[in-house]
Amino acid sequence: MNELFGFILRHSKWLVFTFFVVISCMLLFNGDPYRQHVFMTSAGRMAATVYKGANNVTSYFDLREINDDLNRRNAELQAEIVRLQENIDAMQEAHFTDTLALDSGVRHFDFIVAHVINNSISHPFNYLTINKGSADGVKPELGVIDRNGVVGIVSTTGAHSARVISLLNPHFRLSCKIKRSDYFGSLVWDGNNPNEALLEELPRHTIYEPGDTIVTSGYSAVFPSGLPVGTVMEAESDKNQNFFTLRIKLLSDFTTLGNVQVVVNNEAEELRSLSAGEENDSKKKPFGN
Amino acid sequence: MKLAIQILLAFLLLVPAQAVIFNHLALFNVALPIVFIYIVIMLPVTLGTNWSTTIGFLAGLAVDMFCDTAGVNALSCTVLAFARKPVFHLYVSTDDDLAGRSPSTRSMGHAAFMKFLITMVLFYCSMVFTIEAFQFFNFRLLVLRIAASAIYSFILLYALDCAVSRGREAV
Repeated sequence: MNELFGFILRHSKWLVFTFFVVISCMLLFNGDPYRQHVFMTSAGRMAATVYKGANNVTSYFDLREINDDLNRRNAELQAEIVRLQENIDAMQEAHFTDTLALDSGVRHFDFIVAHVINNSISHPFNYLTINKGSADGVKPELGVIDRNGVVGIVSTTGAHSARVISLLNPHFRLSCKIKRSDYFGSLVWDGNNPNEALLEELPRHTIYEPGDTIVTSGYSAVFPSGLPVGTVMEAESDKNQNFFTLRIKLLSDFTTLGNVQVVVNNEAEELRSLSAGEENDSKKKPFGN
Repeated sequence: MKLAIQILLAFLLLVPAQAVIFNHLALFNVALPIVFIYIVIMLPVTLGTNWSTTIGFLAGLAVDMFCDTAGVNALSCTVLAFARKPVFHLYVSTDDDLAGRSPSTRSMGHAAFMKFLITMVLFYCSMVFTIEAFQFFNFRLLVLRIAASAIYSFILLYALDCAVSRGREAV
């Protein structure tokens, strides 16, 4: 027994070192960002409090630029309202009815306004932290957008803060389509430039032109379809000969993120239960076996 | 007791400063200033390896919590703290004249401290960016990030040490 204690004492520095290295590696190789405990993330109470304090000062810095952007966006939305109103009027006239239901996907969505209190763009896996959490209705796997387009997806929530997987994080793949031609693929960040991403898995015969707008496809319960994401820059060489990759210029400026909106899909539960039912059906054995 | 307060103070100042200020001062999205490792660098050479490794691990873990880097800094900082003494003895043959004192420009002289500091910073940057490069391996970018971040961090840490040393002299 004494020899054992002697051994432990003699080699204690190696044992302590190994212990901490093992804990670090366990954290490092737990790759699933949804499984991390909120305490270990920037949405934890301590980190969020520090970030909120710092944000009270720094949030004033970009106000002029944000204001210009909002004015521009406001003008665009005003034009959109006028255009949609004209469409509704035309449809009402065509159908001779005053009770036409507006068939818009956006009706199923609510938005929670939040402020970005921490944001990183220089790591290979980037996250941001927002100042709204589970107490405000924010849940994991909700989409996050800003005035220009898609920003990310909520991964972990604290009571009054949440960590968002940024679009600049390879853990996040977003189903998108080319607005003009409806060809869809998967948008993912390649870890280099924070203003660019790749739209992968497009069919070889995809028709595109530089400058075409890329929007969300709406094939998931997270984002409504048609949200702008970026514009086409150029084609990329793809290792897989069956598919095609485009380099996309992102519309959201991740260096100056301020106010964002968390997208709450009111029909998400219904869609999830449907897809869960489909998975269960496919697992059932065929009749007669 | 005085040392414990110094370490706690450095912890409370440098970890939030790294998260809130220095992480946002990256140059060209390549050079990232890593300043919180001063917590490990300033530890007295005579401090036991168990203590320095524990402090290094906790500092790295705290930065991981703030920066969502899940274990990258904890692992790198643990290894850095463990390797601190051997690195120190590369440039200073004996620690007799430094007993109980922290490595700094004041205690080691400018030349020796600069060599010690650049080795530590380069060691740390190499570990952090190599661990992060497991996902995207781009050798040129990796070398550029290590070199640029090491130089940037070295300048800031050297300035910080000069300021701290001058402050101590004034006291």
